Amino acid sequence: MDSALIPKGVKRCPIWQFALGLGIAGAVLLWGVYAMFLCWFKGLNQTNMNDYYGFALWIWADLAVIALGGGAFFTGLLKYVFGKDELKNIINYAVLIGFICYSSALLILAIDVGQPLRSWFIFWHANVHSMLTEVAFCLSCYFCVLTIEYIPLILENRQLDKVPFVHNLSHSMHEYMAVFAATGAFLSFFHQGSLGGVAGVLFGRPFAYREHLFIWPWTFFLFTWSAAAYGPCFTLLVTRITEKIARKQLVKDATIQLLAKIAGWMMFTYIIAKIIDTIYWATTTAPSLGFSLKEFYSNNPVYGFSILFIEIVVCGVLPAVMLVIPKVRSNRLLLTLATVLAVIGVSLNRWVMVLQVMAVPVMSFDTWVMYYPSWQEVATTILPVAYGVILIMISYRYLPIFPQEAELNPLEPETPVAAEMDSQEATEADADPELTPAEA
Amino acid sequence: MKHTGNIGKPKRYGMVIDLDKCTGCGTCMVACMAENNVPFKKDESNKLDSITWLRVYRLTNGKPYPDNEVCYLPRPCQHCAGKHEGHSPCVSVCPATATDYDQETGIVSQIYTRCFGCRYCMAACPYHARYFNWWDPVWPKGMEKALNPNVSARMRGIVEKCSFCFHRYQKAMEKAHMEGRRELEEDEYQTACTQACPAGAITFGDLNNPEHKVHQIAQPDPAKGGRPRNPKVFRLLEELETNPKVYYLSSREWVQEACHKPHLLDQKTAHH
Amino acid sequence: MKIDRRSFLALSVGGTVGTALTPLPWKIQDDLAIWTQMWPWTPDPLDGENTFTHTVSTLCRGGCGVTVRKVGDRVVKIEGREDYPTNQGGVCNLCASGMQMLYGPTRIPHPIKRVGDRGAGQWARISWEEALSMVAEQLGEIRQAGQPETVACLSSRKYGSVAELLKRFLTAYGSPNFMVTPSMMDAYDMTLKRMHGVDGRMGFDLENADYVLSFGSGLIEGWGNTAYMIHTNSVWKERKATVKQIEPRLSNTAAKSDQWIPVTPGTEAILALGIAYVIIKESLYDYDFVNNFSTGFEEFRSAVLSGYSPGNVAKQTGVDQSTIVTLAREFARARRPMALCGRGQGTVPGGLGESVAVHALNALVGNINRPGGVWAMPRPAVDGWAAPALDASAQAGLAKPRLDGAGSAAFPFAEQLFNRVPEALATGSPYPLKALFVYEANPLFSTPGAAKVREAFDQIPFIVSFASHMDETAMAADLILPNHAHLERWEDVPDTSGFHQPMIGLVQPVVEPIRDTMHTGDALLRLAAALGGTMAASMPWENYKACLQEGLASRWSQLEADGFWIDNRYRPDTWSLAFPTPSGKFDFGVAGSDLKALFAPAQPEGDDGSYNLKLIPYDSVRIPNGPVGSPPFLVKIVSDTVLKGNDLFVEVNPETAKAAGFVEGDHAVLKTPLGSATVRVHLSDGLMPGLVAIPRGLGHTAFDGYLAEKGINANDLIGSVEDAASGLDAAWGILASLVKA
Repeated sequence: MDSALIPKGVKRCPIWQFALGLGIAGAVLLWGVYAMFLCWFKGLNQTNMNDYYGFALWIWADLAVIALGGGAFFTGLLKYVFGKDELKNIINYAVLIGFICYSSALLILAIDVGQPLRSWFIFWHANVHSMLTEVAFCLSCYFCVLTIEYIPLILENRQLDKVPFVHNLSHSMHEYMAVFAATGAFLSFFHQGSLGGVAGVLFGRPFAYREHLFIWPWTFFLFTWSAAAYGPCFTLLVTRITEKIARKQLVKDATIQLLAKIAGWMMFTYIIAKIIDTIYWATTTAPSLGFSLKEFYSNNPVYGFSILFIEIVVCGVLPAVMLVIPKVRSNRLLLTLATVLAVIGVSLNRWVMVLQVMAVPVMSFDTWVMYYPSWQEVATTILPVAYGVILIMISYRYLPIFPQEAELNPLEPETPVAAEMDSQEATEADADPELTPAEA
Repeated sequence: MKHTGNIGKPKRYGMVIDLDKCTGCGTCMVACMAENNVPFKKDESNKLDSITWLRVYRLTNGKPYPDNEVCYLPRPCQHCAGKHEGHSPCVSVCPATATDYDQETGIVSQIYTRCFGCRYCMAACPYHARYFNWWDPVWPKGMEKALNPNVSARMRGIVEKCSFCFHRYQKAMEKAHMEGRRELEEDEYQTACTQACPAGAITFGDLNNPEHKVHQIAQPDPAKGGRPRNPKVFRLLEELETNPKVYYLSSREWVQEACHKPHLLDQKTAHH
Repeated sequence: MKIDRRSFLALSVGGTVGTALTPLPWKIQDDLAIWTQMWPWTPDPLDGENTFTHTVSTLCRGGCGVTVRKVGDRVVKIEGREDYPTNQGGVCNLCASGMQMLYGPTRIPHPIKRVGDRGAGQWARISWEEALSMVAEQLGEIRQAGQPETVACLSSRKYGSVAELLKRFLTAYGSPNFMVTPSMMDAYDMTLKRMHGVDGRMGFDLENADYVLSFGSGLIEGWGNTAYMIHTNSVWKERKATVKQIEPRLSNTAAKSDQWIPVTPGTEAILALGIAYVIIKESLYDYDFVNNFSTGFEEFRSAVLSGYSPGNVAKQTGVDQSTIVTLAREFARARRPMALCGRGQGTVPGGLGESVAVHALNALVGNINRPGGVWAMPRPAVDGWAAPALDASAQAGLAKPRLDGAGSAAFPFAEQLFNRVPEALATGSPYPLKALFVYEANPLFSTPGAAKVREAFDQIPFIVSFASHMDETAMAADLILPNHAHLERWEDVPDTSGFHQPMIGLVQPVVEPIRDTMHTGDALLRLAAALGGTMAASMPWENYKACLQEGLASRWSQLEADGFWIDNRYRPDTWSLAFPTPSGKFDFGVAGSDLKALFAPAQPEGDDGSYNLKLIPYDSVRIPNGPVGSPPFLVKIVSDTVLKGNDLFVEVNPETAKAAGFVEGDHAVLKTPLGSATVRVHLSDGLMPGLVAIPRGLGHTAFDGYLAEKGINANDLIGSVEDAASGLDAAWGILASLVKA
């Protein structure tokens, strides 16, 4: 039925399976959209945020998806600027994942602010001293870059590509992609950093506050660094999940191993920096503000010392070491485990830098306040996941995302032109989209 | 009246709150809410979403019966100046310049029509002085008559906070200008809470003006970011260098300790 | 026309560019920006001419002198009046919320009569003519039947022209049953009568006292005049006066005092006598006063020395012997010591013995009628009126005993004992009530043992309320003749909160009445006119203002000019002239009373052995518990350790809670002989172990969603205990148990 749209030389599941998958993800999406409209029309009283938790699940989700979407800019940087050409085999997917992450972040922000219709004031009345202004500018610019990076991929659709204008356009866009990739990397450096700065500049919140280098607190650099380190891990993880669901290899091991190695060394160096930062903060910065480390960690499971250990050791040092050792990372299972740990690690880091900042009482007579999200917050946070699944499903089905797919999975020679045959192919076809797990 | 104090120079309006005198009656909170059109809901018992620009905290020394002691501490916006005038924790982070540090008065303002509700300022404020309008305010039928025309009613989705009754400053200045004066007398500009407090526990005025009572009580040290020289006077979280303009006075040692974290130089660690 | 892909593309691109070039998107953007900055339903208060009017706010017990800021005809702010003698620029939290009382939706908009069952809230609007003639008709019939004494009136005010007018109305009608809601002043008045021989009121020269011994008085929590007392507390701080607070709970007063002395509830009088013991034993008392200006000292001395040694007292009160001795020495050696009583806000009088024991301390140190001491003061009088005319029917009615037994052989010195009314009505003795007027009182909510009062009110066939707001008692009325709100009317407010100078404040209308209401004074004048005869003759004034003016006589002009009248030069009589007792001296013997019996502590009711705890009520300055219900601002400032949602927290010492298996926030059933309620537990290190403390003033069933159903009413769980010596309510609390819900 839709075989005319499916890229040449690859097999896709029957349309009913595809539709079923879309339907399930769509239902989740609708649930999220319903919650989103509740928040817009009834206001943020629909959430469990309060005056102590001005930032909560959403801001964490924002920071997390942007860190995880960091794979796009860093892979682009490696390929186009540092000439790691091998990565061309995964760059498309990295861009797509980045696009999903960043569009999700923007959507969540649009729900999170109290007066979304005024959000353009951030540009109109911009305060150049605010990290958030920097974030807003770089984020929107980079989102445009990602869109530009994603467009040629869309244009490569079999039918669109037949239009000469489109064909030429996509070709010439590819020519300039290095420029966009470099711009993207530049913008990402700033907004990833600024997101780190969001917490790091809070000199009223000793838990978040870090010393400065130039105008930026240490978290600025740590966030950029960690996004570059952990973003590719997320790309690898999602690729792995996609392969599992598609039941075929989509990217060659050489590409995967290269990216994993680079990510591993990035994580390794990052975690050393993070440890140094933590020690300096715990022994110098915080005490100079009148706080001792133990005041920052209460004895409840959410904000206890264990969270620090899990972030830095279990989900920091451990996956970094795993990826650095060639023997370990060449084992697919261990590689996947390492990427899972890494993704948890960076998400946990963002969680701590948002939620624990809010939770730690600063005035001595203030109290620890607990927070758990309302269903509306959860639904609107899952919304982007459903949206990502749908976008991946559609993109995978109709766009040549994985250049090596056809080579890795050659079609049987007697297979005629796909057009009339999809129903037969379907039986042995692979993808089972409804099993797609949440990936954000 | 002859001025020797602070003519033509920027003012630094601030407060000294005498915690020995404060009885925790809450009249300041009521006066503030009435003056500033602060809304109220049917259930205000969840203090995490209850807008009280001025909140009276209850401090205890944590000791068991019968050695338990209690002190009340009213906490308006501290109108921080930061390390350098205007580098308040909140003003520096607001992306839309919806909160501003007035160099003339030292007052941190909030522009309700510009705030788009990102709440970054709330995350930045260690005093919890900022409140978000989680709900659209509703006044019971008839009660909207009591709204003060000098302060606009806020709407859902934005942040609000104590303004040191800035509209009163504007009114007083208007009046002074009409009378051909450029300077205000000390009693011409007073906040609603200061005026209402039956204990006279709040003193308000120009910290830069040696003639004003706030200056005389707090004795701020300009060389040390306004640190009080009066040993009974202190500020909340002095070490953070937020440089607040609200000073507290207490003769009880445990209150002084509970209110600011021990400084590194004091070689103290745990407390209360 | 066939639309191909190319033309479709051209059309959409062209359309987009074209629209972008028109002003339309910018106009929409602009409108949207404006709209998002001010939603049309967000109120935008109109500006107008600013005016400032002085008046007195009658919401709090003491009355705050206030300056009301109006914008146009709207009241927008109520501030303390700078030059008012008591609050001096400050204001209490309740009076500061007065706009909400004026404009709030619980106002009764016009006269209404009950059409459904009592309390069902079904009302019909009637005209003032109809309403007044309904009352006149009823009263006429009762009087016709020769039972004028069966009409009673309950007021929260004892003094002032409206109270006097109500009393005068009843007198001319022929009823002795003018009743006032009880307060500590009843006990003080009686003490004054029996120790000083004075029919007057107590005045306290508080600011000049340098050592204050408070037996549970919530000095900064609504005892006396709230704002003035808080001001006084600051004066004490400045002058370095000492305040010692004796009570089982760390109240705000205790927290701000120099020393909190926890005492077993109900044993305050015993502690006072223990202190007296030390003062007498160590001969620390004022010889001049005791030897030359007092009588009955021997009796007092032997009563004290026979049973109140520090060791004995320590056992009963839980206060160390050494503390008792120290307190006694400090008190006696202070220059201007003052001992005060009246628990919390003084809404429960306490027994006569307690008041006498505490006041005896003042007498022992001679700090009577001296600067910084306790003064016997004249009662405020509305003395410009001629005596009411009484016909035979009135005289016959007035000769009947009072319903509450005040002034009877059993309680000769009592002026009113509203706490005894429920039982009188239940038994129909001495006679049932046919009609009741309720003026600015809410007895169905604020009387201890409120359930009994509700039952008693069911026995009264005709209840007329003058309430401005729909409170619990108004809900149970048959007819409501709504009074003007406090900012809409004339009234005089004599200070009776213990201020040491005779003073009257003038309530002046700040705004035109916004509802179809009538001043209760005017309503009474019209009723009297309708009843005719001596009634009309006794109340001849054209309107209330004329009657007010005449009543205040010579003070009127100053009142009108200044908004208050004060006798600044007032000094109490010197000792030689001060005591119009038979002996002409201060009477330590309390007019020959059996002192042992007098000082016996009140026993709590219902001790069947099943209660292991004691429940004490406490008064919070943030929770009004009298005739006025909390406006929204006041509910908003109630702590979340007192009220959370609709749940009320009771305070329990952590030790007691632990023994009973409670942790912070647990739900529990609080049971007393009067009833039970579900509460939550708040652990407090500021409460004596073995006690449960409950705030008064919550648990309203009337009013609106901003107040109704929040918490529980302490008066449903705690009743009154009749003091044998005086008939006054001497309850300090009640026995209770707290079990898991």
